[in-house]
Amino acid sequence: MSKMKERYVLTQSQKMMVFILSMSLYGLSNMITELVPSIQLGPIELSIEYFAFIPLTLCILFHPLYAAIGAALGEVIFGEIMLGQFGGFGELEKFIAFSLAMFIAGSLVNDPTNKRQVGIAAIIGVVIHQAISSVVDIGKVWIGVEELEAVPGLAESVVVIEGFAFLNDVLFSGILFALLPTLYLVPRLYGKIEPLLGMKPRNNTIKFSMKEVIAPRLIVVGILLACAAFFFEFLSEAGFNYEWEADFLEIFGSWFIWVSIAVAFLVALITVVVMIKNKNNSSNDNDNERLSS
Amino acid sequence: MEYTRKLSEKLSVEQVKIELLNTAYGNGHTFLAKLDPRTLFIWYLFFGMAPWFIHNKPVLIGLLVFMVITTITAKISPLIILILCLGLLGQGGYLLIASWFFGGDLSVILPLIILTMKVSIISLASITVFCSMDPEKLSNGLLKIGVPGQVSFSIAYGYRMLPSLLEEYHHVFLSFRLRGKAPMKHGFLYWRTIGYFAKIAVLSFYPLLLSTAKRARTTVEALELKGSFYAFNHPKVKKIKLAHLSFRSRDYMFLAFSALYVFTLFVAGNI
Repeated sequence: MSKMKERYVLTQSQKMMVFILSMSLYGLSNMITELVPSIQLGPIELSIEYFAFIPLTLCILFHPLYAAIGAALGEVIFGEIMLGQFGGFGELEKFIAFSLAMFIAGSLVNDPTNKRQVGIAAIIGVVIHQAISSVVDIGKVWIGVEELEAVPGLAESVVVIEGFAFLNDVLFSGILFALLPTLYLVPRLYGKIEPLLGMKPRNNTIKFSMKEVIAPRLIVVGILLACAAFFFEFLSEAGFNYEWEADFLEIFGSWFIWVSIAVAFLVALITVVVMIKNKNNSSNDNDNERLSS
Repeated sequence: MEYTRKLSEKLSVEQVKIELLNTAYGNGHTFLAKLDPRTLFIWYLFFGMAPWFIHNKPVLIGLLVFMVITTITAKISPLIILILCLGLLGQGGYLLIASWFFGGDLSVILPLIILTMKVSIISLASITVFCSMDPEKLSNGLLKIGVPGQVSFSIAYGYRMLPSLLEEYHHVFLSFRLRGKAPMKHGFLYWRTIGYFAKIAVLSFYPLLLSTAKRARTTVEALELKGSFYAFNHPKVKKIKLAHLSFRSRDYMFLAFSALYVFTLFVAGNI
């Protein structure tokens, strides 16, 4: 029971406040980024992909789940429905990917005043979101084009373009519009914005309920889900034309290795973060033992 | 030059607000707007998914023609169509150029055209469906098919708050510009100016975060007073609220006509 008391609990109205705050702000920023024209340098597109710092800041300062869902819904409502660009099912994928990424980023942070944690979480959030959306985009071309491997050069170019867009988004939007502003805003808003919503700031002594138990598990489940989605797409495609399977590894072999490296890197990074978190949390011995074992 | 002038006219804050309201409420008199939201959802369920799995060219062309006709009858704003076309052309063009680097030849064009056709069928279907519903109808429809009440509230809230939020953001942005110092030189490719504006755009969110937090609290308190949290997901409240939704003969006719058209297309395409 003592553990229950320590958790970071919000009332329903506070959850709704976080939700509305996150929704309206990220929605507004989305509308602005939709309207700002992008700069094209050949195939390199230097565009403001999104102001990821808003949901990241809110996920770090408040309950990550409600802030993340609010932001994703805000994107759909303000950035898509209101501009008349609602994509139907495509939005569902964006919604899930974005709220998952932001939630994971928010739950990685234990102490909002710790700049290193905030920075790592911000970058991880962007990387997860962009990785999911590039995989989905590649999958779309697979399903959309019949006998993809029969067309010379198309498969490689899709992977290259998506990989390039991924790097571009992570390095350009990710650093300029996620990492730096989050690092600037979180310490400044911490302790200031929470009283406006009538709640206490998140701190080390108040435990955030799902952080230690679910977050690592959630990440594993998330990776598994991504793999499952990936294989389902592959299977459904294989059902349409069987000659795919033979050439599959030849075409995508190197790319698969890259994916596994990325996943391994991600897992390693998460482990490091969890270890850092445990070090900071030496007061709670039970959790330490369970996580480090 | 003419083009840039027109574009900058389109991009003023006032114009954006007008365009938004126009997209939302401007076309309530079209045929599609009079249909029940559930009819449109069912219709979209087919046309938003099926094209991915169809590889038959005549069928796809037929579907595209049908989508273009529905888009015209829905009277979609030309700006949205322009944005859609630019996006489609951009994506297809890049894939084409990149595939030539990997030893592709002209045979790449045909699959790319088919892919673009599929994407445009799906985008046109979603634009037709979701632009011809005004926000109230969309949120009622979503509520009816079992989406939580918070979502439909958020849609209504978004439409209500966005103009004032946009204005507030604009004011903060302008005051940052007034008090700040713009770079003396534009720099190579205007990068200094762009960097300056990007920085202001980010910084302007700091005051906005605080004021929106206050506003969110006021909103939630008002909602509590009206008992909205009870009403959001209570079946009886929902029933009263959604009593006006009903399938009429034109809904059945529209669905029947679409089904007939698709069926004929498949028969004709496979001959």
